[in-house]
Amino acid sequence: MPRDHPLKRVERELKVAPRRRLDLIEEVDADARAMQAELERRGRTPRQARRAALRWVVPTHKALEELEARHAPRLGRWARAAGWVDRAIVLGVALAATLAGLIAVVAMYGSGVPDVAAFVTWPLAVVIAAIAANLSWAAIQLLIHGDLRPLQRRSLWNRHAGLVVAAVALGALGAAWVGRVTLGPLELLRISAPEGPMGEPPVWEAVGQMATVAGTGLAAAVFGLFGWLVLTPRLLTDEEAENRIADFFAEARRHLALASDAGLDHERKGGP
Amino acid sequence: MQQSTLSKRINELLVLAVLGHGPAHGYQIALSVEERTGGAFSFQHGTLYPILHRLEAEGRLRSEWHGEGRRRKTYHLTAAGRAELAAGAAELERQFRALFGLIRGTHAA
Repeated sequence: MPRDHPLKRVERELKVAPRRRLDLIEEVDADARAMQAELERRGRTPRQARRAALRWVVPTHKALEELEARHAPRLGRWARAAGWVDRAIVLGVALAATLAGLIAVVAMYGSGVPDVAAFVTWPLAVVIAAIAANLSWAAIQLLIHGDLRPLQRRSLWNRHAGLVVAAVALGALGAAWVGRVTLGPLELLRISAPEGPMGEPPVWEAVGQMATVAGTGLAAAVFGLFGWLVLTPRLLTDEEAENRIADFFAEARRHLALASDAGLDHERKGGP
Repeated sequence: MQQSTLSKRINELLVLAVLGHGPAHGYQIALSVEERTGGAFSFQHGTLYPILHRLEAEGRLRSEWHGEGRRRKTYHLTAAGRAELAAGAAELERQFRALFGLIRGTHAA
């Protein structure tokens, strides 16, 4: 069974920006190779030299924690020092979700959306809160650890896309429902009293309520998409560094396979 | 002074002292410390990197990457690092002199 590269654990455990991770594994790898060569020059076998070099340079869990604290973003360093790393994320996410949900509810009910549409407006408020939570989770994670792994990023984006679609759909559904419950009676009123003392029925008011619900869903989608767009430059930079990390390990694997083949060949020819 | 603070200080001075002889890669610093101190001090299990990165962030060292593709990092002592080495060594010498004075005095009594 092929063994993991010794630095794979370092890459997995170290929660810092991918650029920092790449720098560290390249630095440690170069040192391990150079130290191995130096120890071989001093008479150790390649296997002994490799093992000793790795023992010397590959950081342990404790050393990684120190490096993590050193290379965390400014907010992350503050949160660590205050012992608030996880709490800061949870509190930030909860605050953003509550605020966004409240704004949505106030906007819809403040502009007179009828209570009969509550079955759509409340889920819409929840979806808006979830969009804010998703977005702030990604942003705070980047601000505190500086690290959002590809798997997490993909799952966050999938959830985000689903929420954006849900917001638009709920907005449209809500508008249709509000239209049905408000424009229907108005139509009846117009038929029964076409030239009554009240004049033209308040159609525009009903249209306004419909537009509010539809607009809230649309605004939530725009907020979600633009919010993700703000994170995109950073995510692209991270992805580039992650690709280089993947290349690093792919090359190391190729190197290891070649070395292993050479070793087998040497043994087959009767070498020690 | 707490033990952890003292050992942290000693580790920093060891790194600064090695780099006082000229720029070096991380592995060279680790080997050099072990050889020059006769094995009394060593930086195994990657303990050197947090020290190097801290000293660099504090401006006592600077680093340079060399090479395309497979890059290597070299550390250099800065003027601030040189000053820190001189001040730190003098301070540590004073503390150890006081410590051994106390120990010898205790033994004499």
